Amino acid sequence: MKHYASRFIVWLVLPSIALMAMKAPNRPHMRKYAPKKGPRLFFSSGFQSIVGWDSSRPSKKRTADTVGNGNGDTVFIFPSFRHQQNLIPADTLVLSPLSTKPYMSVQQLLKGDVAGLYIQEPSGEPGTAQPTYIRGISRPVFSNRDLASVQPIVYLNGIPLITDNPYSYNIQQADFTTIGPGTNLFAAYDVDNIDKITVVKGLADAAIYGPRATNGAILITTKNAHAGKRQISINSFYGLVQQDGVATRNAKSEHNFREPFYRQYADAHGYDSYPAYLRDSSNVNYFGPSNWTDIYYKNSYVHGINASLSGGSDRSNFRFFGGSTRNTNADGTQLDRYNGAFFINMLPFKWLTISSMINATRLERKRNHSLRDQFAETRYIPDLSNPLSPNKNVYGKYLSEFDKAIDANKNNLVQGYFALTFDLGKLQYISRVAFDYNEGTRDVFWPSTLMETNNFVSNYFGFNQRFIVDNKIAYTHHFSDTRSLAFEGGQSFQGDVNKYNYAYGYKGPSDFIKINVVEGDSKKANYLLPQGFVVYRFTDKLKQRLLSFYGKLSYDHNHIWNVNALLRSDGASYMQPGSRWFLSPVVTGGWNLQQTFFPHAGSLLSKLDLQASAGRMGNTIPEDGFAAGPQYNVDLGFTNNPAMYSYNGFGTLSRPYSSGWIGYDIPWAYTDNYTLAADAGFFQNRLSIKVEAYTKNTRNQMMRIPTTSESGYNAVYRSGLAVNNTGVDVAMDAVILDGHRNQLGWTAGINFNFNRNRLQALPDGLDEIRIGARKLKVRESIDRYWLLQNEGIYNSNSEVPVNPDTHLPVTYKGIPMKAGDPKWKDVNGDHVIDDKDRVLTGHALPLVSGGFNSQLQYKKFTVDFQFYFALGRTVLNQQAAKRYDFVNQDADNNLGAVREITFWQQEGSPKQYPLYNPWSQVLPYQAEQDLFLEKASFLKLRSLTVGYDLAALPLIRRYNIFNRLLLYATGTNLLTVTPYSGRDPEMIDVSGYDTGYGLPIPRTYTLGIKVDF
Amino acid sequence: MLYTIKHWTIVIACVLAGSLLGGCNKVLEVNSPHLVNETNNWKSIQDTRSALLGTYGLMRAALADNNGYWLYGELRNGDFQASGSGDLRAVIAGQLNASYPSLQALSDWRRFYAVVSSASIFIDRAGEVLNNDPQYTLLNYKMDVAQVRALRAFAYFCMARIWGDVPLIVTSHDGNFDRKARTPQQQVLAFAETELLSAVNDLPYRYGLSTDVNKPQLYYGSTNTTWDGVLINKISAYAMLAHIAAWDSRYADAAAYANLIMKNYDKAAAGYVTTASLTSPTGFFYNKSTSQFFMLSFDWTNREATVDGHLESLTLAAPLISKPVPDIYVSADTVLRIFSEPLDERFSIDSAGVAVTPYFTGVTGVKPIFSKIKVIRDGSTDGSLAIYSSGIVFSRLEEITLLYAEAMAVLGNRTEAISAMDAVRQKRGLNRYLNGSGDLITDIFLERRRELMGEGWRWFDQVRYQRIKNNNPAFTAMMKQGGIYWPVAQTALDNNNLLVQTPYWR
Repeated sequence: MKHYASRFIVWLVLPSIALMAMKAPNRPHMRKYAPKKGPRLFFSSGFQSIVGWDSSRPSKKRTADTVGNGNGDTVFIFPSFRHQQNLIPADTLVLSPLSTKPYMSVQQLLKGDVAGLYIQEPSGEPGTAQPTYIRGISRPVFSNRDLASVQPIVYLNGIPLITDNPYSYNIQQADFTTIGPGTNLFAAYDVDNIDKITVVKGLADAAIYGPRATNGAILITTKNAHAGKRQISINSFYGLVQQDGVATRNAKSEHNFREPFYRQYADAHGYDSYPAYLRDSSNVNYFGPSNWTDIYYKNSYVHGINASLSGGSDRSNFRFFGGSTRNTNADGTQLDRYNGAFFINMLPFKWLTISSMINATRLERKRNHSLRDQFAETRYIPDLSNPLSPNKNVYGKYLSEFDKAIDANKNNLVQGYFALTFDLGKLQYISRVAFDYNEGTRDVFWPSTLMETNNFVSNYFGFNQRFIVDNKIAYTHHFSDTRSLAFEGGQSFQGDVNKYNYAYGYKGPSDFIKINVVEGDSKKANYLLPQGFVVYRFTDKLKQRLLSFYGKLSYDHNHIWNVNALLRSDGASYMQPGSRWFLSPVVTGGWNLQQTFFPHAGSLLSKLDLQASAGRMGNTIPEDGFAAGPQYNVDLGFTNNPAMYSYNGFGTLSRPYSSGWIGYDIPWAYTDNYTLAADAGFFQNRLSIKVEAYTKNTRNQMMRIPTTSESGYNAVYRSGLAVNNTGVDVAMDAVILDGHRNQLGWTAGINFNFNRNRLQALPDGLDEIRIGARKLKVRESIDRYWLLQNEGIYNSNSEVPVNPDTHLPVTYKGIPMKAGDPKWKDVNGDHVIDDKDRVLTGHALPLVSGGFNSQLQYKKFTVDFQFYFALGRTVLNQQAAKRYDFVNQDADNNLGAVREITFWQQEGSPKQYPLYNPWSQVLPYQAEQDLFLEKASFLKLRSLTVGYDLAALPLIRRYNIFNRLLLYATGTNLLTVTPYSGRDPEMIDVSGYDTGYGLPIPRTYTLGIKVDF
Repeated sequence: MLYTIKHWTIVIACVLAGSLLGGCNKVLEVNSPHLVNETNNWKSIQDTRSALLGTYGLMRAALADNNGYWLYGELRNGDFQASGSGDLRAVIAGQLNASYPSLQALSDWRRFYAVVSSASIFIDRAGEVLNNDPQYTLLNYKMDVAQVRALRAFAYFCMARIWGDVPLIVTSHDGNFDRKARTPQQQVLAFAETELLSAVNDLPYRYGLSTDVNKPQLYYGSTNTTWDGVLINKISAYAMLAHIAAWDSRYADAAAYANLIMKNYDKAAAGYVTTASLTSPTGFFYNKSTSQFFMLSFDWTNREATVDGHLESLTLAAPLISKPVPDIYVSADTVLRIFSEPLDERFSIDSAGVAVTPYFTGVTGVKPIFSKIKVIRDGSTDGSLAIYSSGIVFSRLEEITLLYAEAMAVLGNRTEAISAMDAVRQKRGLNRYLNGSGDLITDIFLERRRELMGEGWRWFDQVRYQRIKNNNPAFTAMMKQGGIYWPVAQTALDNNNLLVQTPYWR
């Protein structure tokens, strides 16, 4: 009953206020906001503070020169109407400086350009995932699987884009990558087709987007159709990915590295298990030249070309875009993208606009040759005792076996909408049907020569589909020329379906039959059964629905102050019937201090706006399992075999013992957000400073907490996880020289965010819990490591402290410490080193991150560059730990013990670690100790571009064909400054471990041209 | 006028939208395709079959996880040596608290309690299906409940052997996470015995095949070929009972239970296994058959073969599979010491001085490969794809016969003991037992050691042997401290403050 009441509040109270307001006497005519624009230069910096409704009416006539300048002069942006903007709007990125960079993904475009947006790039491999965080993380992220819950939602022209659901990890042993193509779906959008990107951070702006936007939203607005002279643009670039020379090692180096350990600690058994590949120094495969890098780190080429055509009349206009882009990197990796987009707007009547879009993309990816990912997929680990040879000839022979292989990863994405806009003066109504569909296929065949004479085949097909129906209505009432009250009400339905079919098989008949052939004769008993391969099949499906209603009232008083109040009710299929609906309010108020107090300040203080907002919004859950409450599913798996589905050939059901108990009475998780923002402009806005202080509490989140082993469950799901993120976003932009009359123009912008997360509460009033190698403790940050403190080495047995009560030496979890063992700090002084002696330390996420960018212009010359930095962040150097822990690495035959070809690479400037006894059962080189924790702040020169617009040359201007003819040269990832001893400090996994995986983020040099006719 | 129209437009829009809301909750009701909720379960005969076999599957997972069946039962202080220096070496040396992830996982009894919980839920809920689905007969229901009670008892017996005192939880506790202290092992074993004794009445000798024409000939729609070996029958229950009694040093009871099997095994069509079948890749450990008293199967034809959960993943190596060195092996010295009698079909030196053995491959090498069990895929000899489908077998007739011999010897009935032992010896080509080492009990355990090598008994046999002999002060001291048991996992201790660590591992 409660949720019905809440919906009535939304639907009855707000309109009646609106109606009452209409009864006010003075009924003015409709009034348009005059867009208040900051200084708009072609080479303006990354941000532009756009006050009020920036875009014109859909029907408004436009001039051609506004296209492509990132000024948002597009049709209309869902889902907001034009009269209800906040005084201080969200950060919007102007893309023109970025379109000269060979960036493939939306994340790469945004990196370092928006305060409060932090983007990780764990690998430079084109098309791999790039975790994105807006204003911190609302829950702990220890694995790729955890990511889905903290990622912002991306909108393309108002369509909330659906991504891969993490449910496919259920049948995977390791979550390095998904069973599908695993391609970053946000690499599908061409920067030359994007008009602008807005980053929505707080609830003041996110409220209208609903629960999917509680982690923030990234709004991509493409260039759109518009009326005017026919316009053609062609953009193209070509470039080189240059690989740095790396220092290599061979078996001799490894032998020398191990030698002191053997000399000091090895017993007969230690020598006995000395690996075969290190034994024979006459074996040139291992002891010969280590020149594998010649084929692994090959220079490669990137290129892109696209064209657009737009034109039409006021009553109907269109835009067409088509393009193709290629990104490459080492190890033969590559991502190809083919785009096509088509936009039509029609105005059959003055009061009706029909607009539509179709945007289609195909992504094709060549993935890396990592053995770990290969074995994770085959679920079969061959003998690992001999690594790949560092010798070019042998390694080349190995790689040539991939000529027989298939590894095809393809994604097809298509988005579209059809929208009707009714404009009846004061009343506006928009109805829209939209969809986002993307499918991924991955076909793999690995020949028998790659895996102990077994060949392997796998086929994946999966799709994600979202269907959206939106309706919204707005009514504006003007009390006078300057005072207005607007009401907006809307409904949104989003229906999601995710599905995949997956099969893998071993031991096909030969390396020439690369597909899983099934019996085609329906009369035969083995109809559709595999012929040859030993096949395992999987399929899964997920359905989710979200239904929302909202009402919003906006009052504007003489442009001096305004208030926006929004109330929404969201119902979700993934919540239990008793708590399906969630009611949430957001209130935002803005005050123009400059108008109030300094209306005559002149040019010195040209802008001073203050805005405060407070609100609450429900959170989404990626899983669909909570709605059912207590449930039964298949739970037969065990370590290394998570996907067991039958006993004696029959499907089974039991409680979800491995994943965790789910009970009743699960409430919505929600985020409370308070923001205070100030936006100031000086010297006619040539210097603008925007500061936003925020605090957000995400409460009642579901959390998997450990439970008693005697219950049979691994964990129980409980609600009550609460995390606070508090911080400040600061963005400053300056037009240092305005560049008028062909003089030097110089703009610069700096942005940074300080964010600190804190665990406020755990479910069931717990104070702390451990999750794998991590611990969460209330009042501590959730991105901390949980480590033993290393204080050196016990050089002799007599140095080991003795427990005065028992006269026994200090133990590590019961194993007595001896000479050669690490001296770990006994924090609680109980003479036992165990997990109680671990301390929370470091931060996997930076405390401060941001960027600095600048543009210079002289006549038709332009130069721009961008720095990117992250400070106050630490990394656990697991790669170094593994190198030292060679004894256990030799003995293990699991995914963690795989030695890649990069085992033969000398990383960075390696630290020297103490010489422990690697055979000791106390695991002296376990990664989880502060010995391997390093500061990993960094500053990068991310890009530098030099351009020249030839269109102004008299020779060319004479023909009057080109509006623009820009030639440019760009370098990316040019310089890194860091104290970190390992590799590129960006190449860290989501949990803060440097695993040694991931391809280097490439240094790219490109030449490009941009032509507008 | 215009004003009024606008006015009404809003009102109508609101009313329209409001009326749509009635359907909202229906739209949001989506049944997840990959789970069954409480309202849809326990409705039909498929639900009981799924839940019953799910409980078996959980038992399989508990014993297969990290190859636990052998790490718990075979390796410690046993005949196998480890090649590497990791967790296996630690287990063999009895350093069960070494901080390897696998050992920490193995010291957690959670997976066994999943069996207990699943079984208890079945006992609580299966009755609902009797009312909901007429196909579900009372007889079927009784057999099912008897099986899960036996399974739960078996889980407790396994836990008692591994950890000693464990919390005894006999109700389903569904969604209730109360803490409970460890219950003395005697009580746990007594509970298991009582449960088995009451279950055994409802258990058949065979499933899907009845000599009684009045009883259904099919079990869950399938004949005995589907069910033989993989479900708990009367014989399995008696085998469990015999072992519970023997573990509890009540040899009179153990003898009685074993004797019931020896008298009735033919009713379950069980029998002694030839050495050829025992060691064949497509023999005893591959096919489910009536001769396995209870096998947790990894059925090849149903794609249940795995890499882990099989002895082969530890023991096999080149030339049988591509792995160069086995993780564990029995050294040639040990082989020669244990198999000292001539004519032994399992291992013996023939007149030409050549080793004849289906138990080992490359016995003259540094690391002989223990190849008694070698079910690669469907029992193939092509070892290139090393996934295995051998089942985890708890007991067979030879094993029970030797247990009977052990009980008889302890009880002083030497003739009966020798005659039982000879029944097994003759199957393996050995001569009748004369005097052996001079100590009958030692010789019976030696016979068990030879016959059951690699079947997860060696460590438990040593414990029983020491309990009988009581002549090893170090072992006795260790036993007093609970050192024969595994330590309780730190995670289990962390989550239940009523649990205390076994003294030996403190």
